[in-house]
Parts: sequence; C-alpha cells; structure tokens
Amino acid sequence: MLNNKNIVIGIAGSGGDGVISAGEILVNAASSEGLFVFMLKSVGAQIRGGESSIRVRVSDLPVQSQGDRIDVLVVLSWKNFLRFKSELQLEEKVIIVSDTNDPMPDEEIPLTESQREFWYKIPFTKLAEEHAGTYQAKNIVMLGAISEIFSLPREALRKSIQKKFKNKPTEVIENNIKAMVAGVEYVKTQVVKSDPLIFEYQHHREPRLVMQGNEAIALGAIYAGLDYYAGYPITPSTEIMEWISRYLPQRDGIAMQMEDELASINAILGASFAGKKSMTATSGPGISLMNEGIGLASMAELPVVIINVQRGGPSTGLPTKTEQADLMQAIWGSHGDSQRVVIAPCDVEDCFDSTVLAFYIAEKYQCPVIVLSDQFIGHRKESINPESMRGSKVGFRKIYNRDTPSAEDLKDYHRFKITETGVSPMSYLGIKGGEYLGSGIEHDEKGSPRGDAGNHAKMIEKRWKKFEYIKEEFRFERFYGPEDAKLGIIAWGSTKGAVKEAVLKANAMGISVGAIIPQIIYPFLIEPFKEFIKNKDSIIITEMSYAGQFRRYLRGFLRFSQYGVKVIPFVKSGGAPFMVEEILNKIIEEWKEMEAQR
Amino acid sequence: MSEALKSTDYKSNLKPIWCAGCGDFGVLASLYKAFEELQLQPENTAVCSGIGCSSRLPGYINAYTFNGIHGRVLPFATGVKMSSPESTVIAVGGDGDGFSIGAGHIGHAARKNIDITYIVMDNNIYGLTKGQASPTTPLGVKTKTTYYGNMGMTFNPVRMLIAYKASFVARTFAGNPKHVQEMIVKAIQHPGFSFVEILSPCVTFRGKDQFKIIRDKSTYLDGVHNAENELAAFDIANDEEHFAMGVIYKKLRPTYAEIVKEHVTKKAKATVNGTPKIDHLLEQFQP
Repeated sequence: MLNNKNIVIGIAGSGGDGVISAGEILVNAASSEGLFVFMLKSVGAQIRGGESSIRVRVSDLPVQSQGDRIDVLVVLSWKNFLRFKSELQLEEKVIIVSDTNDPMPDEEIPLTESQREFWYKIPFTKLAEEHAGTYQAKNIVMLGAISEIFSLPREALRKSIQKKFKNKPTEVIENNIKAMVAGVEYVKTQVVKSDPLIFEYQHHREPRLVMQGNEAIALGAIYAGLDYYAGYPITPSTEIMEWISRYLPQRDGIAMQMEDELASINAILGASFAGKKSMTATSGPGISLMNEGIGLASMAELPVVIINVQRGGPSTGLPTKTEQADLMQAIWGSHGDSQRVVIAPCDVEDCFDSTVLAFYIAEKYQCPVIVLSDQFIGHRKESINPESMRGSKVGFRKIYNRDTPSAEDLKDYHRFKITETGVSPMSYLGIKGGEYLGSGIEHDEKGSPRGDAGNHAKMIEKRWKKFEYIKEEFRFERFYGPEDAKLGIIAWGSTKGAVKEAVLKANAMGISVGAIIPQIIYPFLIEPFKEFIKNKDSIIITEMSYAGQFRRYLRGFLRFSQYGVKVIPFVKSGGAPFMVEEILNKIIEEWKEMEAQR
Repeated sequence: MSEALKSTDYKSNLKPIWCAGCGDFGVLASLYKAFEELQLQPENTAVCSGIGCSSRLPGYINAYTFNGIHGRVLPFATGVKMSSPESTVIAVGGDGDGFSIGAGHIGHAARKNIDITYIVMDNNIYGLTKGQASPTTPLGVKTKTTYYGNMGMTFNPVRMLIAYKASFVARTFAGNPKHVQEMIVKAIQHPGFSFVEILSPCVTFRGKDQFKIIRDKSTYLDGVHNAENELAAFDIANDEEHFAMGVIYKKLRPTYAEIVKEHVTKKAKATVNGTPKIDHLLEQFQP
C-alpha cells in the first residue's frame, strides 16, 4: 500500500554498480534529517564484485522491520536484479527506475502489467560519463534522480555524498556532486512524473545515529568496561572484532586474533581468571567449538561474555543469512549441567543494552553469559536516537565490577565458598592470600579436586543457586497489544520487529492480539509468561527454526494445556527474515478461526 | 622487605596423585626450588594446565593455579599473561595434551612470542587414561590402543619448536633435578615464549627401565654450542640417537606484549585525546 510517509526502496545491480554505497549515502542522508531508517544488504557469495542488492526503508515514523514490499525499485542492471528477485518482493503498484541503456530487452524483464505502469528510464551511465567523467558515478546520478522524483531530502543527500568521498581529492567530490545534479536536472527537464508517490516528512529534526547490530554490541561491550577480547573471524560476527580491535586499544584494552575458537574461548577464560572483563564473538560453527570452554566457565565460575551472531545451519549452512536455530545449543550446549545465562537482543539498540546486561550478569554472578544475536540484526543498519546511547543517558544500564574477597575472607580463603546466593568472592592474580586452584574438575569450596558424589551435589547446587537470584533481579519482557487479548504471540530475538508491526497492524484492524518477547531467555522467567497466557485461548509461537526449538523450550516451563491454551506453531527455516505480512496473515487466520468457534 | 621464601612455601596442601616413581615428582621438586631461586611471589605467579597426569601439577603449587581442559593450556595462559603482564605465567602439561590435542596452539604461542614458559613433561604415553599411545610413543611400541605396535612415527618436539622459532627451546630430564631447576629458571627468566621439554618417565606404563634408558642416551650441551645458531640447533634436535640436554635454541625478539604496547596501544592512543568516552565513540555513527 502506498504511504507517503514510509518508502521502501530496493536497489539492485552488479558488484561494480555502487549499490551498497548508494544505499549507505541514502541512509545517512535520511538519518541526518532525523528520519527513521532500516537497511538490509544482500550480496552474492563472491568476495569482490558480483551482484548486490539493498533494501532501504525510510520513514517519518518509527519502523520495526525492513518493510515487506518494495515501493520503489531502482535497477542498475536488470541481469543482476533477477538474482535477487525472490528477496525483493515488489508492490503491485511498484515504481521502477532503471537505466535507459540496459542491455536487457523490456519484454524479457519479469514484471506484471501493472508493475510496468510507472517506469522511469533514465540514462544513468551516460549522464555519469558526461557530467562526472566516469560511468562509476551512475549510482550518484541515480540518487539525484530519485531525490527529484520522490522529494527525498536533497541537501542532506548532497552532504552525505560529500562525506562519503571526504578522503578523496576535491575533484572526485565535485564530480560526484555534478553527477547528483545531473540526475536532478534530467528529471526536472526530461521526465513527466506520473506516479503519486511524494515523500512527506517533518523537517529539521535532530539527526539520528546509524548503526549495525554488530557495532552496537561492540560499543556495548566497551561501555560495560571490556578489558580483553579474543576471537576468530567468522561471518556474520566479524564486524564486532574488527570494531573492537580498532577502538579497544584506545582505552588500554587488548584485542587478540586467535588461531581458532578453542583458543578464543580459553584465552578469555584466562583473562577472566586474571581479573579482567573479557569477551569473544562468533557464529554457530564457532560456538560448536567453544562449548567445552563454556562448560569450563560454568565449572570454574569465570565471568565471560560470548556473542553468537547466528547464521543459517547446520554445519557451514548459510553464512550470510539469518536463522534462530542455535537456541538449544546456547542453553544446553556443553556436556554436564552447565549453568549459563542466555540473552537475546531484538533490534540494533537492544544489541547495546543486551551486551551491557550480559557483562553485568557475568561479573555479578560469575558465570558465562551468551548473547544470541543473529545475522538479521547483526548486519542491518538502523537509525538510533543518539540520546538513548549517550553517556549521561545510559545510567540505567548498570555496570558491575566483580566482588573481591575481604581481608576477613582472605584469612582462610575459600574461592568457591557456599553462600546464600551461590556467588563467592573472587580473587585474582595480584591479591595476596587469594591464591587458589581454579579447575574444570569438580572441586570443593577451597578449590581442591574432589570426586565424591556428596561434594558434587553440594557444589552443583551452589552454582545453580545463582539462577534463583538472577530470576529475582531481572524481569524484562516486551509486551505489545492489549492485555486482555484472547490471541497471543510468543517470539524471541530478531523476530520482534515483524511481530510488533504485525500486532500493531492487527490491533488497528480491530483484531485483539498481544505479544510477549523476552530479553533474558535462560534462566526462564516464568511469571510474566504465566501472566500472559492465563487469559489466552490461542498462542502462536513464532520463530526462525524449522524444528521449533523455542516452542519445545517453552513447553518445558509452560503447560499450555493446563491453561486451556491452544498452541499454534508458526515456524520458518532461516534465510529470509519474517515478513510482517506472513505474521499478520497468520494472526488473521487464527482470529477468524477463533471467531468462528465463538 | 619480607622474609625470603623457601621452596616449601610453594607447596600447596594437596598431595600428588602420581604413581610411586613417576618422573613428575622430580619435576615438581625442581619447580619449587626454581621458584625459590627466583623468589617468585605466589600472588603474582600463575601456573596453568590442561588435562593429563602432569596437568595435575598446578594443584600442588601455592600460587594462582588453574587446571583447565584438555589441550588448551596455551591459549588460557595467553589470556592470563596479556591481562596480568607483570605476573610470571607458566603453562605445564604432558605430551598428549601438548603435542596431540593441543598441538595447534603451540605454533601460535611461539609465533606471537607470548612471554610465558611452557613446560612439557614428556613420558611418551597417556598415563591418566592408563597406557595408550601418545605422539611421542616410539614406533612399534605396544600400548593398549596399539596392540600390534605403534604405527606412527615419533614426534620430535624440540625440532618442531625450533621450526616454529620459539624464542627459547630447552630439554632436560626428570632424573637430573638440578638440571631441571636450571632449565626452568632460565626459561622463566627468558623474555618471550620459552619451551622446556622434560623427559619425565612413566614407570607404570612405559616400564621401570625408562630412567636408565634416557640416562644412557643423554648428553649435556657444553658451552661450545651456540644456541642462537638455528642450524646447529636443528642438528642437535635431529640426533634422535641421543637426548641432548640444555638450552638448544634461543633467539631474543620483541614479545607480543611489547609489540602491543609499542605498535598498537601507542598508535591507537595517538588518535585520541585521553581515553575516549562513549560519547566520543558515538561520533563515528553520525550520518
């Protein structure tokens, strides 16, 4: 549906067409005007070159998702568009902007009759060559053209272009500006606007920040006081390490690239043993390798934060695509009853919050904390209110510095002393009298290895006791929709965006549906869920896991049948994130069924 | 100045679980003596290990000690050292832990020249699991998992470490405690990654005659050997008819921590005014 306050622009082309650059310039321009943006990239498997596509949603109002259908399709090369056809679903009244001189004949382009109604052909390449002296500026000509056709913020666009090329010679900047102007002028003089889309927005708002989920995690870690990072590159998590290796040394921290994930997890355990806040980031295959080390962190009660930016699996799977199928691995991934905490961020800003929270829990409760992000959040860019992240505003995001032993404790130091909360004061290298043996072998309160069942029972209880206090301290779920709704949705992580938007849309259509999204996944904070399901007739459990891992997990805690609640699994294997429409249709379907039974 | 520490001050109250006659007892005794000689402060000393008979050693030491998982002692010790650069960090373990499951880490700790000391108590067998072939079990030797004789060629740890350009490579023998102590002291004093292979017989699964066999094959390097001569070091390592004891290879180069300080932290800090606060870091996300 056409909405002048919210446009979804898709851009597709070959690797050399500058698709990603154009998208980034557009996103930066919109954000500098204080608009809400959401950008998803999709690239081919090639390291360099090859096809690429981008989807930019620009809106006057907050956006929750990438937008289901493309309102404006910009094609720099039809041949390359075809590779992304399945990912760029077009509106029936889509507006097409393409290069006049594209070699593909019109009749071979797979568009319906109505999709051909608004089709602007502009000689991007020719104009670029004429005005900027190089065909490479065709993406900039295109930006100028679409800014004129749809009234996108022109001045902001000019500034973004200047910023993009700020490290290049003045001539390059000037030529690119000429390219933009050429696009504008061509439309003004040669194009008759026939489509009804004119972007409307409130002018002169505070600029917003543009950030990727992976960057928000890195930033959150640094905010929380990260001292030591060790990692191994793996898509789609690598940006976290790249960012940290650049900025952590500015704050006297150390970032090391290790030989593999086994080394990474053990190196951060060593750093934690030495008293430092430490972290690693990886994706599914890396977590599989780290599981033994995560168990060691539980056993030796070492605070560490492990980021998993999930990708499609199993095995190598879909490295550049998203999925939510590492849930069970995060919760139960090591041998033995290994106590750990699992947190799931649900959008870019929440990546920051979740990471800060992860450090808080790890340091306070002396255990590993896994942050389960995914490619969909990790690689997308969102505009963020800068106020929500500035130092003075993040005071509510608590920072914890671990409890060290008192002089009294050190008289006869018991590293693993059984306490009410299960947390014992933790000494580290340099504290005289606090020397102890840390180990993966079962040990007593002093740290001495012990193989008897009685001691094991006592110590495992000590470690798991922490859970009770974590559950008491934190209660953070997101709720959408009316409380008295009879239809509910339970989702987690990156699915939040589409779920929230679908629920709000359904509510606007008069459908009473509510949703709950937890931030702390494990331990399971049961009360809010009990509260949520008690008045529901039906619950849709939605996730990007074909096997329905989240649903199976929830069933371990919630006896839906006892509440007389019908459970409707709604799963999708990864690859492409949920569309709002998919969830909305499911809501409508269930709503109709419930109405029929009434 | 507090009183000088004695070797017994480094003893923890745990009793070793090793078999009577195990070479590791000698290594432990020499380690206590080496600590005394160096007057290491227990609170600034870390001794870490993986899994195996010899990996139980940290528990017998009064210091910050850690007994982690199989094969991962080097990355663990790397994390400790990089987080506590003033501390003395020692990694210990056996031939299975180091040259089999953990072999992938050795080259990297050596290449990065992490300033830790890695002591391998090599007994040519898996002792904790009661007698299976290890990477240094001689060819043809019958063990519980090589019923018809060991099929793989014996690993030569010293040659591997020289190839990796570990900045200090020494070999010694648990049957000569004085020499073990001397090598450990030198290794700890060496700035950079130091490796000490200690031939430490397993009398239970490799036989009581192991001490004699090693003693008979032992030669001790005299002052003539130039440890900085890589080719000469390789010649010594390649002589598998004998066990040359002493510092076989040694080459000083900057440690990882030094490089980080000089080439990373300094450069990174030159780009900012003081320690950047979160607000400064946010600037790069401005559109």
